Amino acid sequence: MMHNSGEDIFNMVLASTVHDMKNSLSMLGESLNFILKQVDIKSLDRQTKNYYGVVQYESSRVNNSLMQLLALYKLENEQLPFNPNYFNLRDFLEEQKLKHLPLLEAKNIECDIQVDEDLEGIFDDSLIATVLENILGNAVRYTRSKILIQCTQDKFTNISISDDGPGYPEEMIELAGNYIRGINQSTGSTGLGLFFAQKIAEIHSHKDISGSILLSNGGELGGGRFEIVIP
Amino acid sequence: MIKYAEKKTLIIEDFAEFARAVGTMLRDMGINYADTVTSGEAAIQACREKKYDIILSDYNLGPQKDGQQVLEELVAFNLIKPDCTFIMITAEKTAAMVMAALEFQPDSYLTKPFNSQLLKSRLDKAITKKQILSPINRAMLKKDWQKAFSLCDEIASQHKKYQNACTRLKFDCLKNANKLKQALKIVEQIANDRATPWSIKGMASIHYEMGNLKKAEHLFNQMTQEFPMALEGYDWLAKIQHRLDKPAEAQKTLQKAVEKSPKLLKRQKYLGQLAEQNNDFETMTKAYRQAVKFGQNSAFSKADEYVKLTKSLGSQLKGNCNEERSKLIGEAEDLFQQIERKFKDDSCVQFRGAVAHADFSSIIKDKKATDKYLQNANQIFDKIEEHIGASESLEIAESLKALGLNQLAECVLEEAVEQYFDDPDFIKHASKLTNNKHLIKNASKANKLNNEAVKSFKLGDLSRAINAFEKASEIAPNNVNICLNLSQALLKLFQSGDKNADYLFRSEEILSDITRLSVSDPRYLRFSELNRLNQLMLQKLE
Repeated sequence: MMHNSGEDIFNMVLASTVHDMKNSLSMLGESLNFILKQVDIKSLDRQTKNYYGVVQYESSRVNNSLMQLLALYKLENEQLPFNPNYFNLRDFLEEQKLKHLPLLEAKNIECDIQVDEDLEGIFDDSLIATVLENILGNAVRYTRSKILIQCTQDKFTNISISDDGPGYPEEMIELAGNYIRGINQSTGSTGLGLFFAQKIAEIHSHKDISGSILLSNGGELGGGRFEIVIP
Repeated sequence: MIKYAEKKTLIIEDFAEFARAVGTMLRDMGINYADTVTSGEAAIQACREKKYDIILSDYNLGPQKDGQQVLEELVAFNLIKPDCTFIMITAEKTAAMVMAALEFQPDSYLTKPFNSQLLKSRLDKAITKKQILSPINRAMLKKDWQKAFSLCDEIASQHKKYQNACTRLKFDCLKNANKLKQALKIVEQIANDRATPWSIKGMASIHYEMGNLKKAEHLFNQMTQEFPMALEGYDWLAKIQHRLDKPAEAQKTLQKAVEKSPKLLKRQKYLGQLAEQNNDFETMTKAYRQAVKFGQNSAFSKADEYVKLTKSLGSQLKGNCNEERSKLIGEAEDLFQQIERKFKDDSCVQFRGAVAHADFSSIIKDKKATDKYLQNANQIFDKIEEHIGASESLEIAESLKALGLNQLAECVLEEAVEQYFDDPDFIKHASKLTNNKHLIKNASKANKLNNEAVKSFKLGDLSRAINAFEKASEIAPNNVNICLNLSQALLKLFQSGDKNADYLFRSEEILSDITRLSVSDPRYLRFSELNRLNQLMLQKLE
């Protein structure tokens, strides 16, 4: 038997449990879609649609929290793979939207992406995807009718997500750069999500400049606005 | 538009319900043809029987082969079409997984859970990219670097989206065509813009090819510091430190990579080799144990790691070892049994195994067993049909000398020297082992003649080249390289004008004398190609 330190065992148990739960989540999602195919989703009454939204949102939230948890654990133990590569930003952002498509359609939310067709960025796609999945999930949850994903590039790559909802609570915006203090029962996944986003932005550094995130209210659509800057 | 109705698809997934869910998604996309298998072994069998356009494979496939190993074997054994789209489905992207995928990358990684829209989007993109870049890849497969290079420019100007992908392919073309300065210029431009593991590795590997080992070492050091999880950097750094005669440093470097991702057969074997050189037998044992373990499910597993592990256990038993002696002995005996069983049709391996077994028995002072296995070795030696490898020959000869079988040792060395005299490292070791000074002198003579002949061949003086190859062949008639060189020169002389049929007959005669070349020998491809050309030309005579 090979020697295993406590950390190794925890890492192994954590990883295999996460894998197992992700299979369960996949099955939940697929079963739900199967049931929905038997009925016309547009014909559902408002309340049923609402419940459908809850199942979609909550399962994506569980999945996302699991990913963040695993990634943060690995980050602490210097086990997090950071493998930046070139990605077409339009393709990448469209995929992030597709992850939430069933819910966007069910809730009748318009989601626009504004980005140059040929823009390429350098980043770790799976890490940034986990960040955006959480932010976008919350935007879908809190917006009234619209979401706007924008991406521009000067020296850095800037990705922002704006909505026309009530915006971030003032205390959360004031945390700027210190999101660890925002994690508590009442902020739930938003608190963890912002802390995670900050950590992942910081890993993306280039020539002494590290990435960052920015929260504000009253952005393009009048609601909350999240921006991540990747140097 | 992609015609999904025509695409043959294979799903590799051990979790049946998930496989069914993926199948439903594919049907919704219009895919009519989807097979499902539940293990890597079954996947390889399926690909032997059918050629698929799309393969979706889970990375975790239970206790045997994982998705990455499946992909590697499919590519290595030519079981998938070059335009097949391979998507790896994962629960999470781990370092061990991505970093084990050094040489064979899937077209895309898809993280669970995903919906049908996402799957379709991913397939659309991967297939489209493959289609657009396929002329370049086809030219590269044919090793037509110049054509591939100009296709890169052409496609980049038509599809702005793939401009950067084309620039990176241009670098590969230049590097393969040995236009190192131009390749360096391209990759330096990319790296100046932004250093990524890819661009640093690109620069460093060019400096390595140019012989600037110090510069390459510096760059790979930078890569391991900036991207500590890009494990390929450690592999390269270790290789360079080894070449710079710093085996202890090389071992330390590689150990860092192994700690982060133990699952690479090649890396474990290299660590074992370095540890052996550093006389660190505990590390050597550990590395070869892992190599044997990870080789269990791999088609790339070789007898080498089994034998090396028994050698390492033997060396541990010679010293004051910390592990329990009887356990190590049991482990080694078990390995010898596995060697006999797993590689029973390979007489070279059986010979090497018998000598190693005798060697091990003498370490544990079992005189009777030592004699028994030496006798076995003697019997097997006469039955060997293929050439024994260079390093294997040295290992065997060294053991035989230590066990007092001088004559057999010299026989093994003689054959090996004739075969591998153009390998300076091998000759250095062999000349220390042999008592036959004549042997080394002849080898260097044959080597000199062969080099002269190659030079004449390159200058186009074929008659002179053939003359020198013939002389070299007289000294070393069994040397495969010389025979192949001679045959090639004869065929070229025939082609280049002087259509003398005798050249073809002589070449045929030489090639037919090559009877001990194993199909797995890297020279086999050249041998069979020359044979084919030779026969073709002979047919045209009639």
